[in-house]
Amino acid sequence: MNKLRLIIAREYMSIVGRKSFIILTLLFPFLMIAIGSIPILMAYMNDKGDQMQQIAVIDETGRYAAALPNDNKFNFVAINGDTVTNARDFYDKSKGSISAVIIIPRDVDSTGVVNIYSEGTIIPALESTVKNALTDTIESAHLAAMGIPNLQQIVDKAHVNIDIHAIKWSDTGDEEEASTDIALFLGIILSLIIFWFVFFSGTMIMNNVVEEKTNRIVEVVVSSCRPFHLMMGKIIGVGLSVLTQMAIWIVLLGIAGTIGGSLLGVSGAVPSPDMMGAGAAVTPEVEGEFASFMRQALAINYTPIIINFLLYFIEGYLLYCAIFASLGSAVDQASDTSQFLTPVMLLMIFSFYAAMGCAENPDGPMAFWCSIIPFTAPTVMMVRLPFDVPIWQIILSHVLLIITALAIVWLAARIYRRGILSYGKKASFKDLFNWLR
Amino acid sequence: MAYLDINNVVKRYEGHTALSGVSMEVPEGCIYGLLGPNGAGKSTLIRIINRIIAADEGTVTLNGKKMTDNDITHIGYLPEERGLYKKMKVGDHIVYLGRLKGMTKADAVASMHWWLDRFDLKEWENRKVENLSKGMQQKVQFIGTVIHRPPLLIFDEPFSGFDPVNAEQLKVEILALRDQGSTILFSTHNMASVEEICQQITLLNHAQVVLTGSVDEVKQQHKKNIIAVQTPDTVEPNPEMFTLLPPDPVRKSDTRIKLAQGVNARDAISWLNERYHLTGFTEVLPSMNEIFIETVKSKNTENNE
Repeated sequence: MNKLRLIIAREYMSIVGRKSFIILTLLFPFLMIAIGSIPILMAYMNDKGDQMQQIAVIDETGRYAAALPNDNKFNFVAINGDTVTNARDFYDKSKGSISAVIIIPRDVDSTGVVNIYSEGTIIPALESTVKNALTDTIESAHLAAMGIPNLQQIVDKAHVNIDIHAIKWSDTGDEEEASTDIALFLGIILSLIIFWFVFFSGTMIMNNVVEEKTNRIVEVVVSSCRPFHLMMGKIIGVGLSVLTQMAIWIVLLGIAGTIGGSLLGVSGAVPSPDMMGAGAAVTPEVEGEFASFMRQALAINYTPIIINFLLYFIEGYLLYCAIFASLGSAVDQASDTSQFLTPVMLLMIFSFYAAMGCAENPDGPMAFWCSIIPFTAPTVMMVRLPFDVPIWQIILSHVLLIITALAIVWLAARIYRRGILSYGKKASFKDLFNWLR
Repeated sequence: MAYLDINNVVKRYEGHTALSGVSMEVPEGCIYGLLGPNGAGKSTLIRIINRIIAADEGTVTLNGKKMTDNDITHIGYLPEERGLYKKMKVGDHIVYLGRLKGMTKADAVASMHWWLDRFDLKEWENRKVENLSKGMQQKVQFIGTVIHRPPLLIFDEPFSGFDPVNAEQLKVEILALRDQGSTILFSTHNMASVEEICQQITLLNHAQVVLTGSVDEVKQQHKKNIIAVQTPDTVEPNPEMFTLLPPDPVRKSDTRIKLAQGVNARDAISWLNERYHLTGFTEVLPSMNEIFIETVKSKNTENNE
């Protein structure tokens, strides 16, 4: 036991004590934020980079051209319909200074059709700008034409925007607001975390084993301890370093959350409920959505999710990392691992896609079986968990997973103790099978 | 009473037998050579003694008691293929190996300092292993082997990779450890070093012991009754007493005679002394190298027949 502790401590320090670990752990969240903000940044650059486009508007009705709003992208220029008999000629004559011609036909009120002509592609932003502007304007014009006083206000009042609130009946008879979206999102994130960390640690363990074998330290070490201790020490040491990394990120997230929360709290105090009906139409709506998000997020029962997450993480980690360790022991150099790695990778990728597939239907038969089968259980069950899985299924899945993980560790140790001492000959699956006996 | 007693050890792998009934007695406080060509089973036997692998049959007794897993703390093992964790600091690495062998942290640190000092590696204590030259890494490995002062030391090709100066230092250290009472099992191909430091040997070939005994005994057993005589005269052959051999390629001036059956060296020398002016004579004993090659070759021929 003492030796196992020593080995764990060495493995742990060899990872956590490295400068690159500390730097990467602290930088990773910022890196993720940077990667996440690239699309936004690109959209912003697009907006900035585009030249102002001149759009000719031929308004045969003579009433609606003014409704098209000029912005930093489009400049709408109304042209007297009578002077232009052929739109194509007009476009050609402009020699590229006009990028599109919009024709609002005389019968637009009845048909509701507006044409945009161009030799280039018509970008979606132009289509939606024109559509939104004309729809509203023509609609108001129709209402006004009916001659009923205050009709616009009547219609505005009648207009509703249906907001779905999912209410969950709890056993005690209380009603809780729950959002399937938030729960699902949480499940997928946790499932992804398990997948990613197990995969990441597994390959790291495998490469460490190969490295110990190739630099021949392994024979010195196993003359002082059992090969099983070396293998488990490595698996546990790497596992603890991963948990350390997670803990650091949770602390960072907590700090970021507190700072973010206090900032939001200041701005959130401005639109108080009695102000909502007044002028600012946008802020209360956003605020309401945020409040409902927070209400729903808080309604999720986190305790069982966190406990199960840790259990599934540890069990799945043990299961897969033992396999990775035994594979590393079977080869002489890292590049030889691919033949053994392929089936394990397929299994892992399947478990990942199974989890994503089960997000569609977390109570279906596929979700059920994949959350019971040990190799897919950790990722799939995490997706199912927010949807109140029957307790017997959770227990069954844990029990099967623990039994399988221990069996795999035992088998992996048998391969490992033979593998680390065999050099030169490239092992085959047949050899691995022989080593098991 | 032997310190390490190996009794009828058998180890089989799929398809071949690595050791078929090997027995060996290593007395306390001696340097014992374990010899044999590649694939003879030396490494397998050493791994069994180290309890890295288990024997299928037979027993290993250490100091009169059957070995258990706890006994590996009494062994220091320097494998032929040896390495270190490249990213660890020299001092930490040595302490780690010492603690794996059951030392307390304080003992391991004190011992580490003592040995680093002895090998002039003191200023390297806080450097990473990867910054050391190969020769220095070999010294660190040696220190890692002896740090816990084990009563039994097993060296597998300890001199490979050492330059002559460092090899000499290592030899001095090994002899010093023996003088302090350690028993040393020494596996090598280098027969010159066997003659220099081993008292006893066992030669393995094809998973079996083919030769065993003290170095002197073995040499006596294998002597060919050859005498090298130094004389300025030309010696004529005397078929009843000896035949003349072609001169030794190295010592060309010597006259080499091979005694006939039943003739003892004293009679031959006095016979020669009466007729020629002798300036010296020595009995030619075979080198360990010759004995090794001869034994391995003859056994191989036997096996092929």
